[in-house]
Amino acid sequence: MQNNIPSDVLLRVDNLCQYFKLGSKELHAVDHVSFDIKKGEVFGLVGESGCGKTTTGRSIIKIHQITGGNVFYKGQRIAAGTRGYTDRIAAIKKEYAERVASDRSNKSAILKERDGKIAEVRAEMKAAVAEARNCDRNYAAKLVAEVDAEYRPLIEKATASGDSAELARVKKEYKAKRRVAQKTRLVTQIQMIFQDPVSSLNPRMTVREIISEGLVINGIRDKEYIDEKVYEILELVGLVREHAGRYPHEFSGGQKQRIGIARSVIMRPEMIIADEPVSALDVSIQAQVINLLNELKEQLGLTILFIAHDLSVVKYFSDRIGVMYFGKLVELADSDELFRHPLHPYTRSLLSAIPLPDPKSEKNRKRIIYKPLEEHDYSTDLPSLREVSPGHFVYCNDAEENKYRKELQGE
Amino acid sequence: MDNIIEVKNLKISFRTNSGILKAVRNISFNLHRGETLAIVGESGSGKSVTSKAILGILAGNAIVESGEILYDGQDMLKISEEDMCKIRGDKISMIFQDPLSSLDPIVKIGRQITEAMILKNKTNRKRARVEFNSMLAKLKENMLEAAQSHPEINAESVPGIIETFDKFNILAIGLENAYNISYNSAEGLLGDVKDFVFRASKKQSLEVKKTLLEFVSVLKLTKNPFFSVGADAEIDALCSAITKERDAYKVTKDENGVAHTYILSDTLLSTLDSVEKLLERLLAAERPNFFRIGYYRFRNPEATLDLSDMAAVNKMALEYLNREFMEEFIRYEELAIANSYEKSLAKKRAALSLLAEAREYYETAPLTIAEARSMAKRVIAEVEGSIDRLEYIKDNVAYTFGSSLTTAVEKYFRYEKLNPKEEARYEKQNAKRDALIARGKKVDWKVAPKNVYDLEDLRAEIVSVIDRLVRSYNRAIERAGERDIHAHAVGLIDYLKERASEVVYKITKRMARDKAIKLMDEVGIPDARIRYNQYPFEFSGGMRQRIVIAIALAANPDVLICDEPTTALDVTLQAQILELLNKLKAERNLSVIFITHDLGVVANMADRIAVMYAGKIVEEGTSEDVFYDPRHPYTWALLSSMPDLDTNEKLDAIPGTPPNLIYPPVGDAFAARNKYAMKIDFEMQPPMFRVSETHKAATWLLHPDAPKVELPKAIRDRIERMKLKNGGCTDAE
Repeated sequence: MQNNIPSDVLLRVDNLCQYFKLGSKELHAVDHVSFDIKKGEVFGLVGESGCGKTTTGRSIIKIHQITGGNVFYKGQRIAAGTRGYTDRIAAIKKEYAERVASDRSNKSAILKERDGKIAEVRAEMKAAVAEARNCDRNYAAKLVAEVDAEYRPLIEKATASGDSAELARVKKEYKAKRRVAQKTRLVTQIQMIFQDPVSSLNPRMTVREIISEGLVINGIRDKEYIDEKVYEILELVGLVREHAGRYPHEFSGGQKQRIGIARSVIMRPEMIIADEPVSALDVSIQAQVINLLNELKEQLGLTILFIAHDLSVVKYFSDRIGVMYFGKLVELADSDELFRHPLHPYTRSLLSAIPLPDPKSEKNRKRIIYKPLEEHDYSTDLPSLREVSPGHFVYCNDAEENKYRKELQGE
Repeated sequence: MDNIIEVKNLKISFRTNSGILKAVRNISFNLHRGETLAIVGESGSGKSVTSKAILGILAGNAIVESGEILYDGQDMLKISEEDMCKIRGDKISMIFQDPLSSLDPIVKIGRQITEAMILKNKTNRKRARVEFNSMLAKLKENMLEAAQSHPEINAESVPGIIETFDKFNILAIGLENAYNISYNSAEGLLGDVKDFVFRASKKQSLEVKKTLLEFVSVLKLTKNPFFSVGADAEIDALCSAITKERDAYKVTKDENGVAHTYILSDTLLSTLDSVEKLLERLLAAERPNFFRIGYYRFRNPEATLDLSDMAAVNKMALEYLNREFMEEFIRYEELAIANSYEKSLAKKRAALSLLAEAREYYETAPLTIAEARSMAKRVIAEVEGSIDRLEYIKDNVAYTFGSSLTTAVEKYFRYEKLNPKEEARYEKQNAKRDALIARGKKVDWKVAPKNVYDLEDLRAEIVSVIDRLVRSYNRAIERAGERDIHAHAVGLIDYLKERASEVVYKITKRMARDKAIKLMDEVGIPDARIRYNQYPFEFSGGMRQRIVIAIALAANPDVLICDEPTTALDVTLQAQILELLNKLKAERNLSVIFITHDLGVVANMADRIAVMYAGKIVEEGTSEDVFYDPRHPYTWALLSSMPDLDTNEKLDAIPGTPPNLIYPPVGDAFAARNKYAMKIDFEMQPPMFRVSETHKAATWLLHPDAPKVELPKAIRDRIERMKLKNGGCTDAE
């Protein structure tokens, strides 16, 4: 594979762009966002509403077709956008148009060279898109091959022994396993917990149906096995067996969110994208759900992308935090580091807005207001995401980078 | 501090399919004028129901079992829908929790914001006129009465004085409004011009022609004889200069055909600079005092004032006003107030004997419906006669006495009739259930508890209504000597001035639009001018929430009820909205009821906090009391279940869920989820224990016989940290 992703990185988001059509214009909901999530860590994504955190999460599990960039899961490309390649092609065309204009005599040779370069980029683009599109199929084929390899000798052995009952049993098992393998998708290892526990559950399905839906789609038909699994998961998330037969409206908000968590955990995912899982809940229930997520993380070894706007919860729950502002990732650091040395002015304004349960200091609190126009001068020197100190990235230009470095050393 | 809203013994239930749900179980609290009271609790604790009861918008299946909500001399639970309409949305307004369902999807945002302003404006002006006139009439009446015993009042001059006061007041406020329009436009324009120049310097794309046109139209509005003193010619010149620049403006394009709208000519920039300087000068000038100048104008309509030295004019007008009118007016007014007060005091003394008689009757005599009603009628008439009508802060107890007494009496007779029926129903259903069980059937239903009232309790309720009035009257009689007539006279003039300003305050559609756009700016909606003409579906959730806040503020209420206004918003915006609410509170002397489930939010806002659980207030105190010295285990649980920036250990989540209020627990409702619960918690409701003057909590842990229980460690550590940060001490210690 052409990418050199370290083995401890579970998910790599590389220059992710997600644009939406808005009449003749485009809305840049997510604009060149890159980050890595390591195995077993909790990565928090914060920002104000409308800054593109949810869209990032949704793009990763392919609810949206991404516009540009790549998403790698376990080193495997699971989503690819074409915008980067088309931009490159446009740049090549422009460059060669200039060359043709200056050197009319060699026109055909130059054009030929140009076509060759464009074809190269096109091929690269096609390969990337195909890799992303076929990631599930390739993964399933690999699993099927494994199942085949496991059962072929068993079947041969059973045929040779002439025990027809044994043969039928093995064949049945083989068939079931093969079906599951065929229908397994790589992307189901990433599951999502949605923000609103009320509207994300189908009111006409029982809890059992909601939770087991993933298994059924995955080709499992053994009712007893499914029931057993559902009960196990229900107990895991702190509900009881009897709840399986009920409908969502019979539950309180916190319990509904538990059902949502159960639904995503039953597929034994390695990664969970939690999109504001506690924002719609009461404070006392929030603590229950956060504790539950923490326990599940320990028990199942989950990696979590935690999207939220409540900074104290994110701080409490996450190992590393990315701050987004208007579709751009402006700062990325370990959570302690971010709260100790916030560098980007937007992060500072965000931190200054956190309410504290302390009336005295609250009354003297000065909120910093972020005014991008006054803070930055990007007219000549363009900004990008740079590593200011180890593991601490800030979106800035040269002048600002120097300033931030000095600030860090000064402290 | 006086109370603007008093809630007393409020009980609200809901009729549901599975029984009667007791949502609010006997709560009482006061909202002081100009303070923020936060009501904190989980969903289902009855905090929203309480606030909805104040506005009279409870769901159809709600039953108000008992209680009173007193506001401005009225009991909000007993007034007619028509009267309620005059208060709701205008005097008391509400920010709702769910922005989606509180906006009309097919009406543009702008119209929804201005609707209340325009509709209420007309009725408000009418109402203010009525109030102004009636108060003035009472004053006149009392002046004439006082004239009989005080020879220093010249009875013949009284009508003239009253008329003069009326007329010049209205004139003055008309002048002031015109001035305010100019002042506010100048203030807004200054900001806009600065922003425009700043954006041009930062090479942002601009709508130059449109903006300049707007500048000209607003600049023209700043012309006012009192505001733009001697600068009218300059303003005209600047207007024409800007118009000329606007016509000459052409978008500059570079060689690639990209437009650079921000390239402005030097002459335009210097013109804008001189606009800024002019506006700054005008805004810094001394404000004219229109109350004084109005009188001068009223007396000398022809005279010209030299307005270039506003301080001198103010001084001259003050002297003129005092010499010619005010001294005499205040003298007369004070006598009138004293007259009315003494009259009412005498009547109060007289009423007390009748009240004692009525109390005796309702407490002991066998009640018959006709007698009880006629007695109530007599007492009410006597009490109404004894109210001092020149008192501009209404005495809630006396004003609502009539309706309270009537309701209490009627309730007694209603339940006298209904109780036997309810008993019979309960017996019958119980017998049926027992019979089924005896036959070996499985019975999965319970008999709904009986809804009967002890007649003795109802009798005591009647007596307590009378007692409350007697106490209040006794206090008034005791304090008779302490009264400051002069302060009252000044207050009364202010009251009249306020009413007069309401009479004159006329809102046109254009003004409403400007106000709405300013408000939208204030609540943080970018591009308010464009957004004004959009529909609700074009807004995101946070934006909709901001619109709802703007609508609630548009009517300029006395009391604002915020029902989880920031729950759907992110931190920055939440901080912004809270700051806005705090600012408005200070500016308009707003009283706020702030409902939330997040204690962290209210530390900034609240002066006092009431923690609710399962329909009861479990702890009440100033925000320092509740945050630095919490006493109820539920408050502890709330505080420790939210992480702060220094939390690393496991969160103390509250186990379980709130109780089902169809079958409310006998003892403390929180006992089942409370790890500090004692035996008595399951058996008996704890009373409110007083911790300090301002701090109360309902938990048996405060009983002197209770074992000592330490605060949970997480909270103790946090309070320690806060103490360190605040320099060693907190107020609650």
